[in-house]
Amino acid sequence: VSAPAGTPPAASPGVVDRLRRGLTNPSLATRMRIGFGVLLVLLACVTIVGVGRLFDLRRDFEDQTSQSFQLELAAERLRSAFILQQSALRRPGGPGVAAGRAYREATALTADATRAARSLAASDPVARRLLDQRVEADARWRELIAKPILRDRDPPTPARERRLARAALDADAALIEGQRDARESQREEVRSDTRTTVLLVLAGLVASLLAAVLAFSGLVNSMSEPLSRLVGGARRLAGGDLEARVEVGGPEETEVLGRAFNEMAAELQRTFSERQRVEKMKDEFLATVSHELRTPVTAVKGFAELLMMERGHLTPDQRENVETILRSSEQLTGLLNDLLDMARSDAGRLEIHARACELAPIVDEAARQIAPRIREKGQRLDLEVEDGLPQLHAEPNRIEQVLTNLLTNAHKFTPVGGQIALNARGDDGWIELEVTDSGPGIPPSELPRVFDRFWRGDDSASQAAGGTGLGLPIARSLVELHGGTIRVTSTPGKGATFRLRLPSAS
Amino acid sequence: MTRILVADDSETILLLFRKRLEHAGYDVITATNGEEALAALAAAGPTGRPDLVLLDAMMPAKSGLEALAELRGSGDRTPVVIVSAHPGTDAERAQELGADGYVAKPIDWDDLLARIRDLTAAA
Repeated sequence: VSAPAGTPPAASPGVVDRLRRGLTNPSLATRMRIGFGVLLVLLACVTIVGVGRLFDLRRDFEDQTSQSFQLELAAERLRSAFILQQSALRRPGGPGVAAGRAYREATALTADATRAARSLAASDPVARRLLDQRVEADARWRELIAKPILRDRDPPTPARERRLARAALDADAALIEGQRDARESQREEVRSDTRTTVLLVLAGLVASLLAAVLAFSGLVNSMSEPLSRLVGGARRLAGGDLEARVEVGGPEETEVLGRAFNEMAAELQRTFSERQRVEKMKDEFLATVSHELRTPVTAVKGFAELLMMERGHLTPDQRENVETILRSSEQLTGLLNDLLDMARSDAGRLEIHARACELAPIVDEAARQIAPRIREKGQRLDLEVEDGLPQLHAEPNRIEQVLTNLLTNAHKFTPVGGQIALNARGDDGWIELEVTDSGPGIPPSELPRVFDRFWRGDDSASQAAGGTGLGLPIARSLVELHGGTIRVTSTPGKGATFRLRLPSAS
Repeated sequence: MTRILVADDSETILLLFRKRLEHAGYDVITATNGEEALAALAAAGPTGRPDLVLLDAMMPAKSGLEALAELRGSGDRTPVVIVSAHPGTDAERAQELGADGYVAKPIDWDDLLARIRDLTAAA
């Protein structure tokens, strides 16, 4: 067995379509992922830039501070060297070789410190200027004070010496003081820069969050309209409008939901119209059956009646046969009428032409109809119609049909020799009728099904009682069309009572 | 003798009508649709004219209701009873069109014969 040679799988056109749709109308999940991603990137950028800036500030501050300390240190060294220079001149024993040597060592220290200070002050014009002043003051002092003293010639006046020394020392002090001030102002500057940076970072974070909130509310808004359309559509559908469809739109999810809703609504509509079609077919079928059977039943019944008209010529046996044919054709007629009523009731075409009418003649006619069967079974039918009943608002034939159906039902279930009662009384704008039998009753579990069509009870006794199972449902339809109610109660073993309430004409 | 024209598309039903009505003492002529019934009425001379017409509501070629409408349209007031297998629906229509009576299938003969008696006696 070899596998059939398959065609190579072609790129499905759906993939391209889906990709295009995904780009133009991304799904909710994609939108949320993108939103979260952008938010995270924004937060990370703001944080990294802010923290980096803080580190830079801190490093710059440390560098500057350390340079400033070194410069201050250099200035201190200059001062020490200057003091050494001075003390070299004032050595005990007066100017001499030793003093010259000490002086030279001190000036070498001064030169060292000056070089160090120069290199440190290279980037600081103020410090450079102060240093220049210091160097100049030192040079003047050496020229005008140190040299004459060392040569021991034209010694300077103490005032002049003090003045020039003061100039050099003051320049040192200014340099030192300047560095202290510079550091202080740097500290201030760094503090304010840090504050600014922290504020900027916070502003960045708040802006990112704000953007995220706006993006998410946009997302929610993009969903809320299609969702509310769906809710509206579902309500209309639930309200029975099978034409209800929703406009498909919004993110992919609501689009898919909208399409699914529309498919469901279409399917519902299709099923419903199919059901209506079947119901209509059933009603038409029942009407046609009822109609088509009427002609042959007319013939059967008519010819049997013809035979009965000549009953004198028939043997007793033949007469009994013809009577059976007649009874059966009457049953058949009843069944046809019931089927037609049921079909009309289902199609909503069972109509009632109600008018004001007396109840008593209707009750009498129904009793007259059932009387032969009651007699046959040795039963008793007690009629009790209250005197002075108001008129009914009803169609007499239909109420007679209801009573006949109920009496037929009672007759069927009441045993031989049993009792059946029909009572009627007025009740504040209504007329209440009760048909009570003395049959086996109806179990409580069966009570709700009594008015279902074709219900004939479960036990074999009621099955054996026969009937179409249409009498009670038709009775209920007719009573309800009259604006009345019908209910049943039963004590199993004792019998059942059907209670009608019909509107009176007053 | 009182003459009755019966129109029905079923031969069996026509036979039943003939037997039953003749048994009751009427002269019966038959037609199998509305067309034939109208033709029979038109063809009948002044002496052979039916005193009453029984029309089945539903027949091929021309229904009883259509024939009734035509008859009344031409000013013919011969008593007409509509026989129908559609209890309820045809009754109203028959009355609108000017029928003098209406009976449903299966036929209650006592009722029908009483009506025929009344209608022909009045004529």
